Amino acid sequence: MRLKRLISLVIGLGIISSIAIIYFYIIQKDFTKQHREFLLSLNTFKSAHIDLEHQILQSSIYSYHNQDEMAKNISSLENEYNILLESKILKDKTYTKVKKDLQGLQKGLKQHIRNTQNYLMLNASIKNSLVFLSNFIEEANFLQEENRDLFKDSWRILKNFNDAKLMQDIDYINHNSFLLSSNLKDEKAQNFISSFNLHSNFLIKNYPPYIQTTKNILGDNIKEKLEEIKKEFSKLALGDFKALDIFASILFSVFIFSLLFIIILFLKYLRENKKLQKTTASLEYSLTHDHLTGLRSRAAFEEKLQGTAKPHLLLANVDSFKCINDIYGNDVGNIVLQELASIIKTEFSDIKNASVYRLGGDEFGVLFDDIKSQDAFDLAIELEKKISEYNFLIYELSLHLRVSIASNFIAPILENTDLALKHLKQDYTTRVLEYKEDLNLKTNVEENMTIIEHIKLAIKNNNIIPYFQPIVNLKTNKIEKYEALVRLRLTDGMILEPFKFLEISKKSSYYHYITKAMIEKTLEMAKEFPQYRFSINISMIDILDAKLLKMLCDTLKANPEVANRLDIELLESENLQNIEAVQDFISSVQKYGSKVLLDDFGTGYSNFSYFSNLDIDLIKIDGSIVREIEKDKRKLHMLKSIHSFSNGMNMKNVAEFVENKEVADLLHEVGVEYAQGYYFGKPLERPLDSDEVLKLNPLINL
Amino acid sequence: MKKTFLLHLIILSLYAAEPISPIPLDVEVDLPKANLGKKLFFDTILSRDNSTSCFSCHNIYDGGADSNIVSVGVKDKKGNIQSPTVLNSRYNFKQFWNGRARDLGEQIHGPIQNPVEHDMDAETIEMRINKIDEYKKMFKEVYGGRHITYAQVIDAIVEFENALVTPNAKFDKFLRGEIELSKNEKEGYVLFKKNGCITCHNGINIGGNSFQKMGTFQEYNEDSDFPDRSKITANPDHKNVFKVPTLRNINKTAPYFHDASAKTLKDALGVMSKHNLGIILKDHEVEDMIAFLKTLDGELPKILDIK
Repeated sequence: MRLKRLISLVIGLGIISSIAIIYFYIIQKDFTKQHREFLLSLNTFKSAHIDLEHQILQSSIYSYHNQDEMAKNISSLENEYNILLESKILKDKTYTKVKKDLQGLQKGLKQHIRNTQNYLMLNASIKNSLVFLSNFIEEANFLQEENRDLFKDSWRILKNFNDAKLMQDIDYINHNSFLLSSNLKDEKAQNFISSFNLHSNFLIKNYPPYIQTTKNILGDNIKEKLEEIKKEFSKLALGDFKALDIFASILFSVFIFSLLFIIILFLKYLRENKKLQKTTASLEYSLTHDHLTGLRSRAAFEEKLQGTAKPHLLLANVDSFKCINDIYGNDVGNIVLQELASIIKTEFSDIKNASVYRLGGDEFGVLFDDIKSQDAFDLAIELEKKISEYNFLIYELSLHLRVSIASNFIAPILENTDLALKHLKQDYTTRVLEYKEDLNLKTNVEENMTIIEHIKLAIKNNNIIPYFQPIVNLKTNKIEKYEALVRLRLTDGMILEPFKFLEISKKSSYYHYITKAMIEKTLEMAKEFPQYRFSINISMIDILDAKLLKMLCDTLKANPEVANRLDIELLESENLQNIEAVQDFISSVQKYGSKVLLDDFGTGYSNFSYFSNLDIDLIKIDGSIVREIEKDKRKLHMLKSIHSFSNGMNMKNVAEFVENKEVADLLHEVGVEYAQGYYFGKPLERPLDSDEVLKLNPLINL
Repeated sequence: MKKTFLLHLIILSLYAAEPISPIPLDVEVDLPKANLGKKLFFDTILSRDNSTSCFSCHNIYDGGADSNIVSVGVKDKKGNIQSPTVLNSRYNFKQFWNGRARDLGEQIHGPIQNPVEHDMDAETIEMRINKIDEYKKMFKEVYGGRHITYAQVIDAIVEFENALVTPNAKFDKFLRGEIELSKNEKEGYVLFKKNGCITCHNGINIGGNSFQKMGTFQEYNEDSDFPDRSKITANPDHKNVFKVPTLRNINKTAPYFHDASAKTLKDALGVMSKHNLGIILKDHEVEDMIAFLKTLDGELPKILDIK
């Protein structure tokens, strides 16, 4: 914001000073030009005046001379005066006085010209008379003999006239002796005298005005006045020049000021730019580099991968890195990562076309461009060896790490390498693995999607259906109970078994619809077959689903008759971690007469501690034990133990996966109460009306 | 300073050897303009009643002046002074007998607007000229534009007058050293100088460069009332003061003086020698001087030959 204002200020200043400079230039140029013109004009006028004086001098020297020059001179004097008076600079108020002074000169100038013209007029006739007289006397040489006095007198008078002209002094002539007189009756002499006196009188009469006029001309003060005007003008002009100087100084200051501003702006710009570059660089760095290890980041990896023609990736992951953080704290974990990063970096620093990345928390990637698969694999083995032998010394702690490294060049690079790495993690014996298509590591995402679609459709079309597997009382050999097993009917009528969809559905939002459908449909079937008991499978997910739980309880409550025959099988393959919630559930269903059965006992999470906390009614012994009791004595023993434990706890057993007579007989022998399996019967769409086992399998040999 | 001044004087004195200078053989004239002026000069539409042209009083084929005592203008009205020659008038330092116009451009308004001469005004002239196609065409060629202005008319006539110079007078040729004068003529020129005529009649126009009183030596016709210099300067001393007239073509411009009182050159010389010089010329001197004056006749202006 401040910068913006500064820029506007500078632009404003720039514009103002530009205008001011142009203005100043025009003013200055005009003024200087006018000033010069005026002085020039003044000088021309002055020189015309001097020229005129020169002409006058000439005309006084010569008896006659060409007066054209003088006429021109007078005319140019008048012209110059007018030009001077019209000088542009005089239009300025400052020079009013100069103009007034000049105007005051007009009268004097006019008078001077008139005086000059008068002088010329008088000068002409006086000169003529003087010339005439000298010729006249010279021609009258008869006087020299006849009247010498008269002759002498005439010369004397002429001399005095000439002297008077030269002296410009009237005293030489102002008396009566300038007229000739004689008593001689000589006609010639008398004629001479009269002619002479005529001119003498003329001269006597005209000398005073002549001398006066000459004095007037010589006394003309135009020159002095011009000098004064010039001085006055220069004084005033000096003021103007000073003003111009001040203006120029201001302008210069403004200019310097603007320049300074521009420099400041420029410096500021440079600084900002530098800052920006720094920020950009650091942003770019942090975008492409990992802060902790200084290695390039995942983003950089992805970018690099796109530009790599023949990529090959090594993906290294620290085994149980989480434990380091948990046990030693994040600080140690971070140092470990840093050191690890430096090891990897050093390891590959000499290898062409290899770049190291930190792709995740404890996951490092080395991307090669164009490397033999075997070479990459060898490098991976070398790296693994190096790390596993490396002693991480942190805060006096000595740590040893193990890493798993997956190597791959088959696209999609990262995904495939990752799969290989995951696979590797489950195998503690192998540390380095190269991904190959035949590892079959890919989860078929597409297939999963199809199944989800099937689930969705099945729920919508009411195609989640229970199949019922008979459970036989081994003592009576009668079908006593049916376990409802979930099936998914496809639109083409094909039936999907639960292992195809149940796990997926548990991870989706559709699972509880499935349980709900099973409860509802089993309930309906139980109503239809009052001679049998039924059981449904409930998982931990269901128990934690309050809505579903309520629905189950409501159903049991509403159908007390059915509730009495509806057993709940708790899927023991899952960890029943929330014991309290499980017991609450058990209590609430037992209230309505349902019995609770612990499923899949003997594998996975089976835990005797359950029995101290949970009111379990029945135990279903897992098929993995049951299936091989006829061959495996240990399994038979386990079976026996479970059975005797169950009996001790007042719980009956159901054995599943009973697939042949031997097993059935053994079970009977041991005393297991119930059995189910293909030997007795596959799951059916509907329970059989008859509870005879033979109806199920005519081959059953009891 | 003194030295340079003296040197200057010496040089000047060399040039001042002959106080009369010849008319240059070539004068710079804008010919199309001057030709246009020539047509106007002869045209009577420049007078109120279409009776008078410039030429009426200035016969440029014969001296450029009027042989009448006073000129006759519109409706036969008479002027108050003898018409001076228009030839070589560009060399006069002032125009009119009493020099009231500084130059020809200033002078020309006088006769055109004078009620006893052309009695015209600018509007009427413009109106009349603009009606004539030939003028319109000619003015357009010279000045451009569609409308002919009074200023353009004046300008054209002035340019024509500027072309009215009469070079190659016998005396000019003598001055240029091309020919010799006859004995009488030479004697006349010497007398012209010796008697002091030259003090006023000098320069290129042999006159026309100063004012002088008619009757410096002996008062001339004191009771007369002519528009003399005193009418301009209001100085009683300037009674009978006039511009010194040119003597070029003097042989053809009779009658002489502002009042046309001299019918012949001899008369004129008589008056001048008596009133302005205070001398009495002898007959042979008069003859010689007339012989000299006749050498001042120049050739007709070239512009008059151009059609």
